[in-house]
Amino acid sequence: MPASTITLRYAELLQQAVFAEDSLAIEAALTAAADLGRELVVLEIPLEEVGEMHHEALIQLGKTHPDLLLAQVAERITVPLMEAYMAYSLAFRVQLEHRTEMIVNARLEQSRRLEAIGTLAAGIAHDFNNILGIIVGFSELLGDELAPDSSAQHHLSFIQQASFRARDLIARMLTFARTMADTPTPVEIVTLIGDTILLLRASLPIGIRLEFITTVPSASVLAEASQIQQILMNLCINAADAIGNQQGAITIELKLLPATPTQRAMVRLTVQDDGEGMPPDICQRVFDPFFTTKAPGKGSGLGLSVIHGLVGKLGGMIAISSTPGVGSRFIIDLPQLVDSPARN
Amino acid sequence: MINILIVDDEELFRIMLKEMVEREGHQARTAANGNEALKAVQQQRPDLIITDILMPEKDGIELIADLSRSGSQIPIIAISGGRRSISLEFNLESAALMGVRATLPKPFTREALRRALADALAH
Repeated sequence: MPASTITLRYAELLQQAVFAEDSLAIEAALTAAADLGRELVVLEIPLEEVGEMHHEALIQLGKTHPDLLLAQVAERITVPLMEAYMAYSLAFRVQLEHRTEMIVNARLEQSRRLEAIGTLAAGIAHDFNNILGIIVGFSELLGDELAPDSSAQHHLSFIQQASFRARDLIARMLTFARTMADTPTPVEIVTLIGDTILLLRASLPIGIRLEFITTVPSASVLAEASQIQQILMNLCINAADAIGNQQGAITIELKLLPATPTQRAMVRLTVQDDGEGMPPDICQRVFDPFFTTKAPGKGSGLGLSVIHGLVGKLGGMIAISSTPGVGSRFIIDLPQLVDSPARN
Repeated sequence: MINILIVDDEELFRIMLKEMVEREGHQARTAANGNEALKAVQQQRPDLIITDILMPEKDGIELIADLSRSGSQIPIIAISGGRRSISLEFNLESAALMGVRATLPKPFTREALRRALADALAH
């Protein structure tokens, strides 16, 4: 039903209610008006317009029936309508919230899809460059065997030109893929840690308890979700290695550090284990590239140095404290994103 | 003339690069991954290693890390089709951080290879 028809129908119903002979007829007219109201919700007519519609209908009523008593209108229409109006505004809000949620979910889904496309594009680009490497290399070798200025030499140079055009195209594709997948966005870290812990639980030994304690229901940082996951997974895998085949616990803690005059608000992530711990001389070197205490082939020794670099890139800090026989604790402070919806 | 070890999982690429460095007047051997490369290094120490990054079994980054930990001073040129991967995989940037002498994105010209060889051997 178009909005103009609804306005007319509404005016009719008001008249019926006001001039009804008995209370049942008033009831029937108001029920019909309520149905009309539900239709307005479906059509997503804004509240102001509904108010306008009501106002118009009242004016019409006053014009056609100048002798109508205001008290009669108030008793028969205004009071039930106030209730209907409140119900309407509630229904409208629920619908609005539902729609907002749907839009947010669709955006999230799209960004996930774009990230997948980006990863795929990077993989294809890599394979293509390897193939082009073979084509360009052999065509250069072939050039040695052809007479200079021969037509074969010219044809070969065209092959090379085309190959480099393909290379440039791939470079552009990679740049595009990168901008899609690498853009730092507000990351809600509590949910992300929860998701990452699910992944970790599946891969850590059964004897290791994994606990997550957070003092806030949500907190946001500006990062790529994969970076935060990489940091957390690396720290937890190191912690699990420190615990080894024993029973042990890894505790992940999250809290907020409020802004001070010298320091902006930070999110503090702590990963603590009750494993073997480290003496001070090893502690000092854990962030050095290639430093590792793991057996050869068990790790490149790049994990913690990469994490150190990542945390720095995100504008944060990482620190370690460890006691042999007691365990180790890594503390990471990342700038909190306070102007995000996740704060509310 | 120097001895070069070429490490790449793509056979046609190994054939091409071996031919190319031989025409530059050097000797070359090949390996298909990091494990084969480590064996080849033990058998006969090369003067220079040219290694791909993404390979099955032991990749180029692990190879560079293993050689570095064993105290090897053999200069390395890292080559790769992916300049910078968007996933967590390592790449030429990581290799550069790990102290390789030169990096060469694929595809490269013979001229670019000559420059990389000169850079790697100049130290």
